Amino acid sequence: MAVNEKGILNRLYFIAGCMFIFGVAVVFKLLSIQFLQGDKYRAMAQERIVKDVVIPANRGNVYSANGNLLATSVPKYDIRIDAITPTLKTFEKYLKPLSDSLSKYSGKSSSYYQKEIRKARANKNRYYLLARNIGYSDYIRIRNFPLLNLGAFKGGLIEEQTTKREHPMGGIAQRTIGYERFDEKGNVTRPGIDGAFGEKYLRGKPGKRKKQQIGKGQWKPLSDANEVEPKDGKDVYTTINVNIQDIAHHALLEQLEKYKADHGCVVVMETKTGEVKAIANLGRNSLGNYYERRNYAVWESHEPGSTFKLMALAAALEDKVIDTSDVVDTKKGRLTFYGKHVDDSNHKGYGKITVSKAFELSSNTGIVTAIDHAYKEKPSKFVDRLYDMSLNEKLGLPIIGESSPIIPDPRIKNKRWSGIALQWMAFGYGVSFTPLQTLTFYNAIANDGVMVKPQFLKEVKEFDRVVKPYKVEVINKQVCSKETVAKVQQLLKNVVEKKHGTGHRLYSENFSMAGKTGTCQKDYRDKEKLNYISSFAGYFPADNPKYSCIVVIHEPEKGIGYYGADVSGPVFKKIAQKIFTDTPIIDEVESLKVKRVSTEKEYESFYKIAQTYKTIMPNVVGLPAMDALVLLENMDVNVKVKLDGRGIIKEQSINKNVKLKNNQTIVLKAS
Amino acid sequence: MILFISGLAIVMIASSHSADKKVYETARLKNEVNEMRSAFIDGRSKLMQLKMESAVVGKMKEKGLSPSVIPPKKIKVKSQN
Repeated sequence: MAVNEKGILNRLYFIAGCMFIFGVAVVFKLLSIQFLQGDKYRAMAQERIVKDVVIPANRGNVYSANGNLLATSVPKYDIRIDAITPTLKTFEKYLKPLSDSLSKYSGKSSSYYQKEIRKARANKNRYYLLARNIGYSDYIRIRNFPLLNLGAFKGGLIEEQTTKREHPMGGIAQRTIGYERFDEKGNVTRPGIDGAFGEKYLRGKPGKRKKQQIGKGQWKPLSDANEVEPKDGKDVYTTINVNIQDIAHHALLEQLEKYKADHGCVVVMETKTGEVKAIANLGRNSLGNYYERRNYAVWESHEPGSTFKLMALAAALEDKVIDTSDVVDTKKGRLTFYGKHVDDSNHKGYGKITVSKAFELSSNTGIVTAIDHAYKEKPSKFVDRLYDMSLNEKLGLPIIGESSPIIPDPRIKNKRWSGIALQWMAFGYGVSFTPLQTLTFYNAIANDGVMVKPQFLKEVKEFDRVVKPYKVEVINKQVCSKETVAKVQQLLKNVVEKKHGTGHRLYSENFSMAGKTGTCQKDYRDKEKLNYISSFAGYFPADNPKYSCIVVIHEPEKGIGYYGADVSGPVFKKIAQKIFTDTPIIDEVESLKVKRVSTEKEYESFYKIAQTYKTIMPNVVGLPAMDALVLLENMDVNVKVKLDGRGIIKEQSINKNVKLKNNQTIVLKAS
Repeated sequence: MILFISGLAIVMIASSHSADKKVYETARLKNEVNEMRSAFIDGRSKLMQLKMESAVVGKMKEKGLSPSVIPPKKIKVKSQN
C-alpha cells in the first residue's frame, strides 16, 4: 500500500473500526453480565458475604428425681498443633518441655512426642492432633503447656470446640439415661430416656438468621430479630433416685464379680406409683470388666423359672381350683410327662406337702402337680386367666426395645403349644418375660392387686414451669381378687420368714421383706451349654410395701453358685437394707413439757441447798457428782474440788456445816 | 449540605463499627459462657462421683467407719407452746 494520505486514513479507519467493535463487545459483555446473568451472579455474591445461619437450640437436660444432673450438653475440645507456624528457634527451644508436659498428661513417653511432633514438622503437617475430646480442666491444662501457651500465631495452637452429651454420673445408669446419636447416613440410635424423649422434648427447634461476613471469621446479623427464633429443648426430670441407683449399681456389680456372671440387671420400683427409682444393667466385656452394656431390664425377654410360680399360683387361686392348704405329692422329686422330667432341685422331693409349702420350698413337682391336676382338662382356662392378669401385653414403655411377652396358647397354632406346655408353664418354662414385666406383676401383688405402669419420667419442665407432669397409669385395676392377693402376699412373706423358705438366708430381724427366688436353666437343650439365670423378685417391707425390686443375674459360674437366693438375693437384701436404714424412724411426742415428780423434787432440793449454803459446807453425800461440783464451785468462797469417780457422792473430806475458807481443797469420793 | 451528609456518613460508619465490635464481644462472651459451663459440669461431675455413697463408704473404710445398720430416730414434737 502506498504511503500517502489516503493510505494512512484507511489504516486509521480500520484501527478505529476495530476499537469500536471491541468497545461494543465490552459493552455487550457488561450488559449481558449485568442483565442477562445478573441474577445468578448477584445470588452468588450474596452467598459469599451473606448466609443463613442455623442457630442450634440447646438440648434440654436430664435430671434425677432430686435434681441431680444425669445428662447434659457440654463443650469438649480437640487440641491440635500447626507444626510449621513456630519459628525454628522457638520450636527447638520448647519442643522438649512440651513433650515432657504431654508425657506427664497422657502417660506416653516424652521421646515419643518429640519424635512425632518433629515428624509432623518435617511432613509440613499443620494439623497434628495432640488430644481429642477433652474436658474443660484438661483443656486449660494443655493450653498452658510450653509452646502452646504462645497462642495460635506464635505457638501453632489450634483448638476446636464441639458440643458433646455428657453423663456426670459416669457409667451409672448410662443405658437407661441413654443418648441420641446420628451417624453420617442420618440414621439415629436412641437408647434410654434421652433417646426416647429426644425428639419430643429435649431437642428443641433450631432457629435461623441472616448474617453478613465482617472479617476474622465472624458474621454479623443483618436484621434486628432472628428470622426463626431457636426454641431450646425442655428439661426432663426422671424418677431415678441417685442414692438408690448408686446402691443398686454397686450391689449388682459386687455379685456379678463374685459369681463371674455374664450379665445382670436390677430394677427398684415404687409400689404405689410405679416410679422406677433405680435401674442398673451390667454386662461383661471381653476383658472381664462390667459396664452398662444393654438395657437388659427392658429388652431381654427370658424364661422366668420359679419366679413365675407366683403368677401360676395366683391364677389357680383366682379360679378357685387350688387352695393353699391343699396337699400335693412331690413324688420323690420327679414327675414324668411324655418322657420329659420335672425335677426338684434336691432330687428327692419333699413327700406330701401343702401347696403353700411347695411354693415356699419352690418345689417344681409340687406346683406342677397342683397346676396339672387343676387345669389338664382345660388348659385354655389357665391361659385365659393369665391374659386377665394382663400378662400377655407389653408395658408400652417409652424406652425403645421392649420385647413382647410370650405365653403359649392351645388355640394359637404357632408350635409353642405342646402336650407338656401347661406343666412346664407352671414352673416358668415356655413362657417368657422381661425383668420389668415380671416386676410389674410382683408390684401389682405388693400394691394389693392394682397393676401400675412403670414410670421413668416425673415431669417435663421448661425453666421452672412444668410442661407435662407424669401421673400414675393403671394397667389393670385389679389383677386378681383381694383374697387371692392376701394369700399370695402371705406366701411371699413366708419364703423369707419361714425356716424352710428358699429365701430364708436373706432373713433379717431388723426389717421385713417378701419375695420369690428363681433359679432357671438356660440353653438346656444342649447339656454342654447349660447355664443358669438366678433371680429374685419381691418387695419390702412385707407389710405396706414401699418398693418392689427384681434382680436377675445371667450365667453365674456354676462352680461358685447359681441359686437365686445366693446369687441375686443379696443384691435385693442390700437395697432393702439401705432403704430401711436411710428412712428415719419417727417418734412423735405430744409436747416437750414432761413432768416427772422425782426430777422436780431433786431440782427443788438442789435449789434449796444452793440458796442456803453460801460459805459453809453443805451435805453433798447422796447427790450426783455433777450437782455437787456445781454447788461447791458456785459458792461465795473459792474452793478447789478434787473429785474421785463419777457417780453418786459417797464421802466428803469436810463435814457438813463447817465454814469454808478461800482456796481450801475439798476431796469428794464418788462411786 | 455536603457537611451534613458527610457528618451522617461518619455517624453511619461509626455505628456500623460499633455493631461489629458488639458481634466480636458476643462471640467472646459466648466462648466464655461455654468455658464456664464446661468448668461447672466438670466440677459437678467430680462432686457427684465423690459424694456418692459408695465412694464415701470406700473412703471411710480406711478410717474404720461404716454405715449404720439401724436407721436414725427422729423425735417429732407435735405441739410446742
